[in-house]
Amino acid sequence: MAQVTRPKDIRIVTIIALILVLLAFPMLFTPSIKRMGDFIPMILGIIITMQFVSLIGIWHMKQWGVQLFIIMFCIRVITFMFLDLYEFRFFFNIFYSITFIVFFLIHYRKMDTNL
Amino acid sequence: MVLTLLKESIVFAWGALVANKLRTFLSLLGITIGIFAIITVFTIVDSLERNIRGSVQSLGDNVVFVMKWPWTFGPDYPWWKYMNRPVPEYSELAEVQRKAKSIDAIGFRIGTRKVLKHNNNTIENALVSGWSYGYGQVKSFEIVDGRYFREDEAEGGYNVVMLGHTLAEGLFPNNEYPIGKTIKVAGRNCKVIGLFKKEGESMLGNSMDNQAVVPYNFARLFMDVKSENSDPFIAAKAKPGVTNAQLKDELTGIMRSIRGLKPLADDDFALNETNLLSKNFDGLFDIVGIAGAIIGGFSILVGGFGIANIMFVSVRERTNIIGIQKSLGAKNYFILAQFLFEAVFLSLMGGIIGLLLIYGLTLAAGGVIDMEITLTRSNIILGLTISVLIGIISGFIPAYGASQLDPVEAIRTN
Repeated sequence: MAQVTRPKDIRIVTIIALILVLLAFPMLFTPSIKRMGDFIPMILGIIITMQFVSLIGIWHMKQWGVQLFIIMFCIRVITFMFLDLYEFRFFFNIFYSITFIVFFLIHYRKMDTNL
Repeated sequence: MVLTLLKESIVFAWGALVANKLRTFLSLLGITIGIFAIITVFTIVDSLERNIRGSVQSLGDNVVFVMKWPWTFGPDYPWWKYMNRPVPEYSELAEVQRKAKSIDAIGFRIGTRKVLKHNNNTIENALVSGWSYGYGQVKSFEIVDGRYFREDEAEGGYNVVMLGHTLAEGLFPNNEYPIGKTIKVAGRNCKVIGLFKKEGESMLGNSMDNQAVVPYNFARLFMDVKSENSDPFIAAKAKPGVTNAQLKDELTGIMRSIRGLKPLADDDFALNETNLLSKNFDGLFDIVGIAGAIIGGFSILVGGFGIANIMFVSVRERTNIIGIQKSLGAKNYFILAQFLFEAVFLSLMGGIIGLLLIYGLTLAAGGVIDMEITLTRSNIILGLTISVLIGIISGFIPAYGASQLDPVEAIRTN
C-alpha cells in the first residue's frame, strides 16, 4: 500500500490541534465542570479523547480522521450549547475548529480511505 | 464475530500484562500516583465544602443577622468604617419584633469564653452562649436528652444550662447522667436541663458540641453585653414566602429608625445572610479545586507518557508476533484493539489502585479527625473515567502504529 505524503500545513495544524486538545484535558477536573453533574466530565472527556484519536488519524493522512474530527466538533458544540457554556472558550473552540476543518477538507481527497 | 475478536484481543492483552508483572506494576504506578493526587484533593475539598455548607445551613438559609461587622472579605474591606459602629443591643430586639411584619421568629444571642466546673472536672475557655427565648426558634439544633428552656426561665434569667456533647462528656465523665445536676458557669451555680445532639467538628467553629447555652438574662450577669467580645447579634427568620431581600429591606428601615439615622447617613449596622458566607467559601474552594486540577491533571498526563512508553516497548517486542497474526488473517482493528485494551487495562488498574488508596486514607482519617471525609460517587466516576481516557490517549499511538505494520517486514523483525 503506497503511503500518502503528509503536507506541511496538515503537519503544523495537527500539531497545534493536538496541543490544544491535550491542554483541554485538565479542564475536565475544574470545579465548574464537576458541579454540572457526575457524568459531565465523562462526556467531555470522551469528546476530547475522540478528538485526539481523530487527530492521530489525520496525522497518518486517513479520511476517517477528518470524519471523526468533524463529528466530534458537532457533538462538542451541541454539548456546550446543552450545558449553556456560552463563554469565551466556546467561541474560541468554534473558531479554531472550523479553521482546522477547512485545512483538513482541502487535503481530504488526497487522504487514504482505509483504517 | 466482532465480539469474539474483542474477547480474543482482551485475552491477548491480559496475557501480555501477566507475563511482565514488574513492568506492568511500574508503568501503572504513574497513573496510580496521578489519580491518587487529583482525587485526594477533590475528596478533601468536597468534604470541607460539605462540612462548611452543613455549618452554614445550621445557621439558616432564610435568616438575616443584624451585626456590627459585615460578612464580606477581601483586600478592599473598609474596616475603619465599621469599627466605630455600636453593637446590636437586646433592647433593639423587642423594637424590631414589634415593628416587623415579615418575621417568623427572632432572637438575640451573645457568647464568650468562660470556665465550666463540676466537682473536680473543669473546662476552661468553654463557649458560653446567652440566648433569648426566640433564638431557639431561629437556630436549628436537636436536643437528645432533657429540654429547651421555657419562656419564663428565659425572661426571668433562671440559672439553667444546656450542654453540648463534648462539654457534657468533659464535665460528666464515667457515664454520669448530667440532667438535673448543678454545674458552675463562670462561678455561678447552674442546673443542667438539656443535652444537644452530637454534631461533630465544624469548620466555622459553631458546632453545638462545644457550647453551653444559658438564658440571655442570666448570661448578662457575667458577660459584658455592650462589648464586642461578647459578639452580640439579632437573628431574624423570614416568614414562608418572604425573601431574604424583602426581610433585609424591612430590617434596614426598622434599624435606621431605632438608631435615629438621618436620611443621608450610612447604616451603622450590617445585615448578613448565610449565602454571603457560602459565596466567600465558593471562591476559596474554586481556587483550591483549580490548583488541584492543574497539578493532578498534569501528573496524570505524565503518568500517561509512562504508559505510552511501555506500550511502544511492548509493540517493539511483539512485532514478529503481530506479523504472524496479520499473515494468518488478523485485521488491523484486531491488532489495534489488542494493544489499546492493554493500555486501558494498565491505566484502569492504576486508577483503581489509586482509588483504593484514597478509600483507605479516608477510613484512616475518619479515626483521627472528627470530620466526615468520604470518597464520593462523583469522584469515583471521575477517577475511573480519567483512567480509561488516559489509557486510550496514551495507548492509541503505539496501538495504531502496530496495526499499520507490514506483515512481511514485521515477521522478519528479530
